[in-house]
Amino acid sequence: MAKGKANVATIIVIGGMSVLGAVSGCGLFGAGPSAQRKAAVVKQSGKHHRPLKGGKGVTIDWAASPITQTGTRQTMVRAFERSHPNIRVKLTTMSTNTDTTRTTLSTEIEGGSATPDVYMGDVIWPAQFAHSGLAVDLSKYFAHGFWSRFAPGLVTGASYRGKVYGAPFFMDAGFLYYRKDLLSKAGLSVPHTWQQLASDAKTLQAKHLVRYGYVWEGASYEGLTCDLMEFLADSGAKVLNAAGTKVTLNSPQAISAVAFMRSLITRGVSPAAVSTYQEPDAMNAFDAGDAAFMRNWDYAWSNSQTPGTKVVGKVGVEPMPAFAGDKQPGYSCIGGWDLYVNPHTHHLKQALTFIRWMTSVPAQRILAKKYSEVPTNYAVQREASVRRKNPVLRIVARVRLIARPSSTPLYPQLSQALYQNVNAALTGQISPTTAISRASREIGADLAGRGL
Amino acid sequence: MAPALIVVSAVTLFPIVYSIYMSFNHIHLTLHGFRFHWAGLSNYRLLWASGLYRYAIGFTVVYAAITVLAELILGTLAALILQRLRWGRSSLLALLLLPWSLITVISAEMWSYIYNGVYGVLDAILLTLHIIHTPVVWLGFPQLAIASTMFADIWKTMPFVAILVLAGLEMIPVEVIEASHMDGATAWQIFWRVQLPLIRSTMSLAALFRILQAFGLFDLPFVLTGGGPGTATESIAVLGYQVMFQDLSFGPGAAVAASTTALVLIMAMVFLWVFRGMAEEGMA
Repeated sequence: MAKGKANVATIIVIGGMSVLGAVSGCGLFGAGPSAQRKAAVVKQSGKHHRPLKGGKGVTIDWAASPITQTGTRQTMVRAFERSHPNIRVKLTTMSTNTDTTRTTLSTEIEGGSATPDVYMGDVIWPAQFAHSGLAVDLSKYFAHGFWSRFAPGLVTGASYRGKVYGAPFFMDAGFLYYRKDLLSKAGLSVPHTWQQLASDAKTLQAKHLVRYGYVWEGASYEGLTCDLMEFLADSGAKVLNAAGTKVTLNSPQAISAVAFMRSLITRGVSPAAVSTYQEPDAMNAFDAGDAAFMRNWDYAWSNSQTPGTKVVGKVGVEPMPAFAGDKQPGYSCIGGWDLYVNPHTHHLKQALTFIRWMTSVPAQRILAKKYSEVPTNYAVQREASVRRKNPVLRIVARVRLIARPSSTPLYPQLSQALYQNVNAALTGQISPTTAISRASREIGADLAGRGL
Repeated sequence: MAPALIVVSAVTLFPIVYSIYMSFNHIHLTLHGFRFHWAGLSNYRLLWASGLYRYAIGFTVVYAAITVLAELILGTLAALILQRLRWGRSSLLALLLLPWSLITVISAEMWSYIYNGVYGVLDAILLTLHIIHTPVVWLGFPQLAIASTMFADIWKTMPFVAILVLAGLEMIPVEVIEASHMDGATAWQIFWRVQLPLIRSTMSLAALFRILQAFGLFDLPFVLTGGGPGTATESIAVLGYQVMFQDLSFGPGAAVAASTTALVLIMAMVFLWVFRGMAEEGMA
């Protein structure tokens, strides 16, 4: 009997250890910075890292996720190194998943790591990162004149409480992609209103020209917040008041926006699976020729032009539609990436030089002309040769932008409240009215510090 | 022994104690690292007030109960079949272990292709067989998404239970089974009255391991649904990850982790206590 008890005790101890280990392995206990560092080191691509000759100058570490086309970052690093012989840049490749990158960077920097010196981060991070001391206040080092190089609205988006924490690197926005060939077969023109888009989609489906009408991002994740922001702005709803202190979401406009999104599914314009779609899923359906319309980012253009997809040469792109009777075009959610500086860097001067160059005309030209990214440098964005590069760059100046309510450090919680509830409405679990009132309640609790 | 203890303390005890300490603090990230302010139970009060936390606990408990039960039943069945095989047993065993040996993130990606609501393998098969007429969005509805996640989980971990149970069955002396035959017991009686009581401790060990693992459920919902649709598959570990690493709310995040640990330990003890009671009853 005594032996039996001892066994039970051993099992409890071993079991307890294993579950604690499993949970801490999941990162719940914050696998210390060293573990995260190790993971990042494994991912480093040291191929383009050439040591300095004679020990002159310094090497800075730039952490960046892969950009759509291969070689973008490496080409820019090489061009920078050529014009700055005393600075070498070591590229550390981060995850393509924004949230994973945030986890790695925040644990690393919070742990006091001096590297990366510069990192590429999402446009929705400034408030959260500034609030947590994870980014340098760049407005302290760059004179007022520096910020005028960027396209309107971008610097405000990178600011928190009047200080700028990120230098806009390349931008993105929601675009409406459509099938030129299908529209002309059915004698239709490009829809500029949501109502027209839905009815055109139904027409094309009824004529058996295409399986699905409209594909977009409806899964329970950040991307849904982007799509939602566009519908909300189109219908005149706002998530927060201008000061960002009070929730103003619960309105008939917001409910009608979500009801319209749900109706796209119930009317069969969008497949039911759209409630599980992230960007690649929408792109797969569209590139396979199974959808007439798609909402996606800038990079969807180059993907649709890849030989082997079924839609090469058949795709057009326009700014997003608006609701009938409203000003056109409709709103496009702002996406994109900023360059941030690690507060613990030992090479602040070089890091700033790097950022100054990466946002300059020559660098942004490489980004736009060679790799089709939307430049943040306003002069480059308007250059005729850049606009000729592809249809997305041609129309980007006409797009009406709406930013996510990321001016509060609580933005991740806000966004979760939005996408979790709206996703539930898209699948029909709850009504649009319930979704909006629940999201409002949760956001209110978050702002009051009572939310999880 | 002592150096080993030091290593264990450094890599497990320290983070555990530290995170429990974190859970009782308001934590501000500053340029100089964490700044702690004693918060008493306020992080825990925040959790309890959150509907999402209560849901995540409920979901994880129900998920653990159903999947572990299913794995025990199916695993035992598989073990009984394997034990009766005269040939091909080792190759079947290896085949059976394949799902278990796959890294969950990889098998989860595979399942996401199977469950895909437009191009999914499962829909393609069912459509071809005319069992369904329009594609089913397996991960798009709460009950379906939960069931689909459970199925992928059971597929992966049933072999683990099967191997443990098989080992238990092998340890039963052949004479015992032969004697039961002589006494005219049916196959069912042999299983229910002879084998099952003898492998009970093996099964309880398997169940315990599985319960502990099920409470750490993270990779499957993280890859398959991201916790959706809505928050239907939001397990406690997914919630903890969100709070800790997306929201950077370290105090509440640590509270999620610490409370999970407490809950799991209680569950494990209750399980063992109930099981021992059952075992003693069986002996009597």
